[in-house]
Amino acid sequence: MKALQIEKYGAIEDSLVFNEISKPTIKPNDVLIEVKAAAINPIDKSIILGNLQSMLPIAMPSTSAYDVSGVVVEKGNAVNNFDIGDLVYARVPQEQMGTLAEYVAVTTDAVSKKPGNISFEEAASLPLAGLTAMQSLERAGIKENDKVLIHAGSGGVGSFAIQYAKAKGAYVYTTTSTSNVAWVKALGADRVIDYKTEDYKKIAQDVDIVFDTLGQNYSLEAFEVVKQGGIVVSVVGPLDEDSAQMFGMADYKLPTELAKASSAKNAVYKFIFMYPNGQHLETIKTLVEDEKIKPIIDTVYPFSKSIEAFVHLASGRAKGKIVIKVS
Amino acid sequence: MKELISKIKKRIHVQAEAEAFLYSISKEKKVTKGEILIRQGQVVKKTFFVTAGCLRSYCIDKNGKEHTLQFAIKDWWISDYIAIHNNELATLTVECLTPSTIIEFNARELDKIHTYFPEFESYQRHNLERHVVSLHKRILNQLQLSAPERYDLFLQQYPDIEQYTRNYHIASYLGITQESLSRIRVEKSKK
Repeated sequence: MKALQIEKYGAIEDSLVFNEISKPTIKPNDVLIEVKAAAINPIDKSIILGNLQSMLPIAMPSTSAYDVSGVVVEKGNAVNNFDIGDLVYARVPQEQMGTLAEYVAVTTDAVSKKPGNISFEEAASLPLAGLTAMQSLERAGIKENDKVLIHAGSGGVGSFAIQYAKAKGAYVYTTTSTSNVAWVKALGADRVIDYKTEDYKKIAQDVDIVFDTLGQNYSLEAFEVVKQGGIVVSVVGPLDEDSAQMFGMADYKLPTELAKASSAKNAVYKFIFMYPNGQHLETIKTLVEDEKIKPIIDTVYPFSKSIEAFVHLASGRAKGKIVIKVS
Repeated sequence: MKELISKIKKRIHVQAEAEAFLYSISKEKKVTKGEILIRQGQVVKKTFFVTAGCLRSYCIDKNGKEHTLQFAIKDWWISDYIAIHNNELATLTVECLTPSTIIEFNARELDKIHTYFPEFESYQRHNLERHVVSLHKRILNQLQLSAPERYDLFLQQYPDIEQYTRNYHIASYLGITQESLSRIRVEKSKK
């Protein structure tokens, strides 16, 4: 089968190659998915560039990407919750990475039926960004009437997070640039802050939850806007001590400034690792079918133009997700 | 099954042998919400009579989106008749929208009833005509009526359906977007 593979770390055009490889074999708890569409995410780019070599070392060559939607064509003998012919979507686990291929084997724990009211391309755009947003906001304990600040509302994670927070009945502040204000507002955000002309710290104050999708100084600044006893969840900022321990970094301490800022507000700082979860995707399926959440797609590329798709992703200018139609 | 047979008896005389034959080729079943009875792309051998609950038949287009052909509530038949008649693989999926009770018939065996018991011909013709009428109405409505008019007719035809179905099922039956359906409902509530 045809697959887009990473042959070495480095610049996108030098590292990605289309190879003919053998079809994956399934284990008892796996389904084999005939890939209809795959989506690419910033993490895919970081892996190719080699930025995550120490945390997520990969064998060379490895097939790229995690997000998939397609049709179940084979199932392992322990699988009883999926059938041949089911239309599904998933964020595949690390050890099964490689959705930019004609087929991918996935453990059923990570798989859900896809929403029936959207296309394969739209479904493929949801898992990684959707799970990241949902798991972060749920970890923060989001509830009705919470004031939530979501950074980068026009990104894949941000655009999903706004809709998820609204579905939960929260009041949503979000930041974006001038050209995105209108469509981000249309996602349901209550107050869209144009960071080019406004200071978000003066507008979003005493919020219950800050969802940090930007990192750098934004992680620290979050404690200027979060309320006493609030929570900051981050997917890009420094690790917190619990998550560092998971990585075997026993002596890790939260950066001093961050520790000081959070204790001054008596607020919690949590780093969130998205994890694949089919049941969470079931929840997302229901939200999408009830039109609480709409997939936001920037561009759909044909499989043969996957490398161009990565170049587009790397430009950082996508509004919503970049999807690849595989078959 | 008794209910179905007494319905048939209102139209034709049913001999004891015919009744026994019907029992021999059928099975009463309780099915759970979400259960798939016929799956697009697979062989179709069965046809279903609904005694309680709600089922739906739909096709999935090449982009993976669902389009609803039919809902089946109490006293309706549902299957993939294209597949049965043409001896093809299913173009439709039939799923249970609620926990339901159905009578499952072997479609090929059921067809033989007309040979064994010719009186069933007239009963079947009546059913088919009713089915053709409803299909013709559905096509004409689709061609000439506005979306709000189609929605009104739909509610007349399936008065309690909204408690069983999701919005996207209804929108995909009417051939409109979910947004349009929400708009139509809002307009209707203002009247």
